[in-house]
Amino acid sequence: MSSTGPRAATTDRTAAAAPTTGRRPGRSGGPRKATRNRAGRFREAAKRQLIPWLFLAPALIIFALFKFVPLVRMIEMSFYQVRPFLGDVYVGGANYDQVSSDEVFQDAIWHTVYLAVGTTAGSIVLGLVLALLLEGQVKHLWFVRSAVFLPVVAAMAVVAEVWRILYYPNADGAVNSILGLVGFGPSAFLNSADTSLNSVMVVGIWKGAPYDMMIFLAGLAGVDRALYEAASVDGASVWRRLWHVTFPALRPVFAILLTLAAIRGLRVFTEVFLLTNGGPNGSSEVLMTLIYKLGLERSGELGVASAGSVVLLAATATLTVIVQVLRRRGAHR
Amino acid sequence: MLNHRVATAFVTLLAVAVTSAGCGADDAKPKAKQDNKSELEIWTRRTPGSEQELTTKRLAEAFTKKTGIPTKVIAIFEGFETKLQQRASQKDLPDIVINDTAQLGTLVDQGLVQEVKKDDIEGGDDISDRAWNAAKAIDGKYYAVPTSAQAFALFVRKDWREKVGMEQPKSWDDLVTLGKAFTEKDPDGNGKKDTAGFIIPASTERGYASWYWSTYLYQAGGDYFKEQDGKFSSAINSDESVTAATWFQDLFCEDKVVMPGAVTANTNTSHQLWEAGKAGIYLTGPYVMGRFDKSLGKDKFEIIAPPPGPKGEGSLAEGENVYLMAGSKNEGGQEKFAEFAASVEGQEIGMDADRAGPIVRLPVNTKVEMSNTRKDPRWEVFQKVYDDAGVYSPTVKQWTPFRQMSADALNALAADCSADPKQTMDELSKKFDAELDKQGVRA
Amino acid sequence: MSGVDTALGLDAKRGPVAVIAKTVLYGALIFVFAGPLVAIMIGAFIPVSDPTKLTVIPDEFTLDNFRQAIERDVFLYLFNSFVVVGVGLLFQVLVSILAAYALARKKFVGSTLVMLAFLGTMMLPEEVLAIPLSLVLADVPVVHVNLIGSLTGMIVPVIAWGFSILVMTEFMKDIPVELEEAARIDGAGELRIFWSVVLPLCRPALGVIGIFGFAMIWDQYMLPLLVAVDNEQFTLPLALRTLRTDEEVGVGVLLAGSLLALLPSVIAFLAFQRSFLRGLTSGAVKG
Repeated sequence: MSSTGPRAATTDRTAAAAPTTGRRPGRSGGPRKATRNRAGRFREAAKRQLIPWLFLAPALIIFALFKFVPLVRMIEMSFYQVRPFLGDVYVGGANYDQVSSDEVFQDAIWHTVYLAVGTTAGSIVLGLVLALLLEGQVKHLWFVRSAVFLPVVAAMAVVAEVWRILYYPNADGAVNSILGLVGFGPSAFLNSADTSLNSVMVVGIWKGAPYDMMIFLAGLAGVDRALYEAASVDGASVWRRLWHVTFPALRPVFAILLTLAAIRGLRVFTEVFLLTNGGPNGSSEVLMTLIYKLGLERSGELGVASAGSVVLLAATATLTVIVQVLRRRGAHR
Repeated sequence: MLNHRVATAFVTLLAVAVTSAGCGADDAKPKAKQDNKSELEIWTRRTPGSEQELTTKRLAEAFTKKTGIPTKVIAIFEGFETKLQQRASQKDLPDIVINDTAQLGTLVDQGLVQEVKKDDIEGGDDISDRAWNAAKAIDGKYYAVPTSAQAFALFVRKDWREKVGMEQPKSWDDLVTLGKAFTEKDPDGNGKKDTAGFIIPASTERGYASWYWSTYLYQAGGDYFKEQDGKFSSAINSDESVTAATWFQDLFCEDKVVMPGAVTANTNTSHQLWEAGKAGIYLTGPYVMGRFDKSLGKDKFEIIAPPPGPKGEGSLAEGENVYLMAGSKNEGGQEKFAEFAASVEGQEIGMDADRAGPIVRLPVNTKVEMSNTRKDPRWEVFQKVYDDAGVYSPTVKQWTPFRQMSADALNALAADCSADPKQTMDELSKKFDAELDKQGVRA
Repeated sequence: MSGVDTALGLDAKRGPVAVIAKTVLYGALIFVFAGPLVAIMIGAFIPVSDPTKLTVIPDEFTLDNFRQAIERDVFLYLFNSFVVVGVGLLFQVLVSILAAYALARKKFVGSTLVMLAFLGTMMLPEEVLAIPLSLVLADVPVVHVNLIGSLTGMIVPVIAWGFSILVMTEFMKDIPVELEEAARIDGAGELRIFWSVVLPLCRPALGVIGIFGFAMIWDQYMLPLLVAVDNEQFTLPLALRTLRTDEEVGVGVLLAGSLLALLPSVIAFLAFQRSFLRGLTSGAVKG
């Protein structure tokens, strides 16, 4: 991994600099005090191995109790017909069959991927643009940033209501009026199979871009101003400055956002549920709405919902691993 | 080494925690120790803080005063089914659940309710047969005591109808004509073409599309199933059913008299559109009268019985039951509460006169004189529709999957004008048969 | 020296053209992102909202929606939300920074696995985990307590959140080893290094996990639903979802409740924004 630490000490740390140590920055193996004998060194090594676990202990305990135990139970439920009161009935792979043979299943997968990729890419790009535009310490920027951040803090139920109004399919609906000003015809938005998925995506980007913007702003806040000064003294154009100083410094942010995208992208649910419920005619059905329909709206099909969730989990895990591998590969170049 | 042993212990602990958490198929349902003064926990599917919750509490208090059995009312709305499942997993159900009749099949299937012997219910003969039928499962036994009923009627903008100079609709054709008039003739007089004929919640959410369409299905003489000795076969693609489906699609595609945005609208959005004057014909229930009186004004709309379709009158009928949950510590108390809720006194408390919190919409007790407590004559319209033409949803084992599948099909017809109704219904019929097979009740 | 405080150098542009351009730009951004929400919030003051357009100037003004919201115990729910978020966020940040410190700055056996495990928890849909989770809450393994029916039951599970661990880890990774080694040579112990050296450099990241942690805990739906035994324990978002499908009241009550729910989030956001500014200056102190 190239060491482009933004808060560099004294040495020149442009994107081209090679790491001075053979290790990743910030990863210490521990103190290298002189130890007198094998037993002492062993104790040191044991302590070194133990300390991280001590720091991790609180998180591990809570995760184990409230995430992993239920997860194991969920995987177990996927092989049963779950009847909470009467007791479960073992059904083997029947739940998985039901989920994957549902004719909407394949479409749902495709919709999920499409929505995930589109929303993520849109949010990241727009989020970066917003962060660059709204960076700075000036007082009025606080206000603008807070205003732009409203979609993130507003309850999803309200966001759905707003967009339902904005998307009203008549020619005098809010968005349609604006489209009319620039010469485009009215669209049915959420109510037509052709446009429903894209309409949901726009809402996702609208809510997601300010979210990503915040993380980008955090990254931008950490860029060493001395580098900007140096670049400006060198007469570098804004674009060169962005490319050679800013973007490398945003490495952690891109890492976070891409990882998050892989993890949460496939789980998209609430926007679709509240705006279209997968309709019209299944055109915006995603995996989670399908799982909800098959498993949770029909009480007692928890086993089916679990099976669908395990499928979702496997897909997400695969995707995350791929993203992490690509990241490592990309960083080593 | 030490680490290995710790790890093994941890995994064992996990395994024990997991297995003890719920797969007890060997637990027979032991009868709980009975205590006929133990408090009854009553769950009702209402919004906490609403008028209806208050009415339920009043009912419970009156019961406690009369019998001395303490009660506790808990109102839950969102996630009701989830919370019930949660309690079921803990093998600790509430004593009473007041919920829709459509939930009967599922509750029985999951073993959550106790059987009710109709003859043991005091005053059971006073309850109408039709209401009792909605408490009967496919095995012919009763699993609840009815407490409320309702049917649907047509809300029409009176001011609009008078402006376009038309009579109250008396047939399906009249409805379409009226709808067209509302769409084209600018009945609100604002010079803009922003009104439509019908308000239709055609979303697939909670099966609304199918729920709405059922009334027309029955008016066309169609049905979801044909029953024969407790077994069912699909009737959703019969000629009559297809007629109803075609008519439904035509509203969207041929006549174009439906409000925009219908295919993703749920009932709340539909209510709002009606209140904002976006359309003028709305088939809905009596529970919104209070709200519309306040938001729109009583003088602006009228309530009429839905005009008959090709085969005659029809309306979806629904209701609520008092379910006696399994494993209760006070089975005597459960029965007494159910009897009270269905008695004339209980029904009258539940009807809440003309106020905003009725938990009994139409009484199931035939001895109740509605005009004793209610002065609003519009209630009579609903009563008449229920008595003459009400048809409940079928009592298969699990109604929800069928409701969901048919809502998907109808939503498809409404959204895609090129879809063929006969073909869509045929495909739906195949799915119905498959699901009937799965539930083990196929003829 | 101007023009070097931001990546694009927008703060350097001062001339009249620039001012106008910036005003138009900011205005457009506010219109697009905040405009719809502000407009719909006006609906909280209107008795009957038109669902086809956003009314900016209401014909009729009423506080009745708020009255109905209050009748439905909205202040109690607000209070519960505050308690859950306040306590929960505090512990969440604490646990996350401890875990991130280990993952970012220490090489040890199993670190990758632990990270993947934390990430894995974010892949799970909460709707399905609901029932198993509620079973655990009713009888927590090892300690055998019942957390159902108390706000503690809503607080404890949110303390562990993969997102904050992920963000903190990534930001902590970027701190140069030299600083840590210098402190160690000075004789600082592990905790001191953590608290006084590494943590202060992560202020922007702390701001991020503070804001997002707040939003995440505030928005929790499934967990409060499972833990609450009756509506005394409801949190506000739970109540809002209920209002959405409640047919007795119009959308105005939902909006009134949402407005009340929005205010704390906005205030929290403004508070956390400060940390970004501190982050900017800390960058200049280095070197």
